[in-house]
Amino acid sequence: MAPSIKDEILEIVATVIEKEAGDISLDAHLVQEVGADSMMALEILAALEKKYHIVVPEERLKEMTTVNKIIQMVETARKRG
Amino acid sequence: MKNNELLKDRIGIVSGGTRGIGRAIVKELVAAGAKIAFTYVKSDAEAKKLLQEIAAAGSEALSFKGDVRDYDTCRDFVEQVKAYFGGLDFLVNNAGITRDKAFMTMEKEDWKDVIDVNLTGCFNMARSCIVTFLKQKEGNIVNISSISGISGIARQVNYSASKAGIIGLTRALAQEVAPYNIRVNCIAPGFIETDMLGILKEELKDKFRRAVPLGRFGNPQDIAKTVLFLLSEQSNYITGQVIKVDGGLHTSN
Ligand SMILES: NC(=O)c1ccc[n+]([C@@H]2O[C@H](COP(=O)([O-])OP(=O)(O)OC[C@H]3O[C@@H](n4cnc5c(N)ncnc54)[C@H](OP(=O)(O)O)[C@@H]3O)[C@@H](O)[C@H]2O)c1
Repeated sequence: MAPSIKDEILEIVATVIEKEAGDISLDAHLVQEVGADSMMALEILAALEKKYHIVVPEERLKEMTTVNKIIQMVETARKRG
Repeated sequence: MKNNELLKDRIGIVSGGTRGIGRAIVKELVAAGAKIAFTYVKSDAEAKKLLQEIAAAGSEALSFKGDVRDYDTCRDFVEQVKAYFGGLDFLVNNAGITRDKAFMTMEKEDWKDVIDVNLTGCFNMARSCIVTFLKQKEGNIVNISSISGISGIARQVNYSASKAGIIGLTRALAQEVAPYNIRVNCIAPGFIETDMLGILKEELKDKFRRAVPLGRFGNPQDIAKTVLFLLSEQSNYITGQVIKVDGGLHTSN
């Protein structure tokens, strides 16, 4: 079975933040609880844009606070096509 | 590498491209193979003429009438450039003005205009480009400061402050974005023959000229060539620097 979008995104986030995917809970605040910074958010964004062929406006960076919110954002962007 | 390949197919922005130093920069970079979008505020005829000259030489450029003082205008412009050329590799912050006066007669508008165009304009443009550069882990910014920002020049308190500000901006930003393979440098021209110098009185110009060890004012191409150097691979290990291009004026500091 192909990995779900949730697992793919979690993996991307984990790689950028240099943590184990299993240690990041989906609703944990990435900056306040997981230890990410704004540059990491940008790297996550760049990786997502490349993988899913989407374009996310810079303004939405500040909404990328948890893995769940990122998943939501990617799904909306993909529907928009 | 031949000079006309130094920036082959690179895409870049030059603020204030219609006259003087900016115009020379646009032409030098286009001749080096780059695709350039430049801004200006009022010189429609000059903008059109420059586009025609570039087209006649078989290259492509884009002009944009817009004030660097306005953040949203800068952001729109950068988005348009990316959409039109399909990317963005570098930025040259060149737009600048003077409002020279004795300090005791300097009004707050004289201060605000100069700081807004020269310093805030640099912020607006750099901030509008930086996310693109960070994402692609590649980018290059060259800011045009002035020797006035290093040693200070009487009757230019506003201008000296704005140009010193550009040096601080350059050094701080260079450190912050170096891990992302983005270089940020700055050029401090001495006296360069442009409209900006044209407004000075003859006797003052003579005095300034005599102070230049190389015995002449610089021309806009002298600055443009240094911009090309800083944007090209020839300067790959240089970042956060202020390069004086001033005929030897300030060899003591
Ligand atoms: N000339 C010198 O001796 C000298 C020495 C040291 C440093 N510099 C610096 O070099 C840079 C270029 O100077 P220059 O002598 O070439 O000046 P210039 O001949 O007066 O040209 C200035 C350029 O900037 C544009 N500009 C002005 N205000 C703007 C704004 N608010 N938004 C967008 N564009 C704007 C102008 O557009 P319009 O044509 O539409 O007005 C023009 O293209 C400046 O930053 C200046 O401080 C010059």
